[in-house]
Amino acid sequence: MIVNPIRHAAGLALAFGLLAAAPAVAADGKQLFADKGCTACHGEDANTPLEPGYPRLAGQNAEYAFTQMKDIKADKRTNGLTAETMKPILEEVTEEEMRALADYLASLPRLTAATVAQATEGKKLYMTKTCVACHGKDGLKPVLKTYPFIGGQDQKYVLTQMMDIKTSKRINGLTNAMQPVMHLVADSEIEAIAEFLANVK
Amino acid sequence: MKTLIRAVAVALVATAAFGTAADAGPRDKPAQGKSLGDKDYSWNANGGEKDEALHLKPDLKNGREVYEVCAACHLPEGWGQTDGTFPQLAGQHNKVIIKQLADIRALNRDNPTMYPFALPDQIGGPQAIADVAAYIGTLKMNPEPGYGDGTDLEHGKKLYKENCVRCHGEHGEGNNDKYYPRLESQHYAYLLRQYQWIKEGKRRNANPDMVKQIQTFTDRDTKAVLDYVSRIKPPANLIGVKGWKNPDFQ
Repeated sequence: MIVNPIRHAAGLALAFGLLAAAPAVAADGKQLFADKGCTACHGEDANTPLEPGYPRLAGQNAEYAFTQMKDIKADKRTNGLTAETMKPILEEVTEEEMRALADYLASLPRLTAATVAQATEGKKLYMTKTCVACHGKDGLKPVLKTYPFIGGQDQKYVLTQMMDIKTSKRINGLTNAMQPVMHLVADSEIEAIAEFLANVK
Repeated sequence: MKTLIRAVAVALVATAAFGTAADAGPRDKPAQGKSLGDKDYSWNANGGEKDEALHLKPDLKNGREVYEVCAACHLPEGWGQTDGTFPQLAGQHNKVIIKQLADIRALNRDNPTMYPFALPDQIGGPQAIADVAAYIGTLKMNPEPGYGDGTDLEHGKKLYKENCVRCHGEHGEGNNDKYYPRLESQHYAYLLRQYQWIKEGKRRNANPDMVKQIQTFTDRDTKAVLDYVSRIKPPANLIGVKGWKNPDFQ
């Protein structure tokens, strides 16, 4: 049988094309965000949490978001609802898919339009208790890509994280950079900071 | 082998922390050296940015610019916080500042809180280390550092004389040429934290002689000796005026 070299080549190209396309489909972060059930709690736009206490994810640093997913799946982050609610979902998500999800989340618009500069107690505390050094002005300029954006975050969520890091209920990732300064803020001050951060527009 | 594992682990952490090289910025990160516990670890081994910085002529004006980053935590006066969260830098020996800063950014001393602010991206290369160390050298010390409870000072004095003077000096003045830090009038709570980390081997750039020296100290000994040394007053010409505000940052 004489094989038509052109058709043969085209066949190969088609096969490779399909192979190459397969991971691209798997790595579609937007699709994954819907398929894996993320939207149920974090909202279709990743910015409308189902309930207070769930984090907004849109526009988060990709490195940070990826680390959190990985750590929750590996039981390195177990605070709040992570162990009971989120871990079972992440059991079905591969690391490659987490990357795609993180990249997708990072690509979404964050609440950055304009910051409302209010001279609130919370803002003053944010500026003087070293928060600003790492998370940047209004929580919108983290100094490293591994640090989260916290401006505009859900108030209850950001409050819980501060408390959990202070009391070492949350110890994953770079929380070891934050924990040593948390004794600088009283619990009532943490509430004021959370209120300030939640109201950053 | 252990070193190799650590090197790989650090490389992985560094990769995870900073993503691609492009994200990390234009400057190379300083190379990590050996740590306490590694085979052939030699305290204060020569090399790296420490040596580079020591041979550069410092520029005080740039040192002030660089110090602005440090001032967020160590305060514009370099007085740190009396609760020990951040140490006093004022009055510390030039070579000690240079060594510790170089060690922290090369990951030879773990300080996750300070780490991002010590990076070349943030403050610059070895010249910046030389500059900021020289600027810190112009600052007078906190006249009211944090102390311990003051209940066991005689015991502390005795222990200090027997164990610490050989390196840290009669009154905790340290030794610039030998990279031994000044301890007098450093915040007690900071001394306590570092001391514990040195004792436990957690402070990876520690001097093995000191690690060995303090192994038999009880908690009472520890508190007493550190309370004692934190209360020693440095020479008057090194101490600042109470309530002084650094005009460079007003």
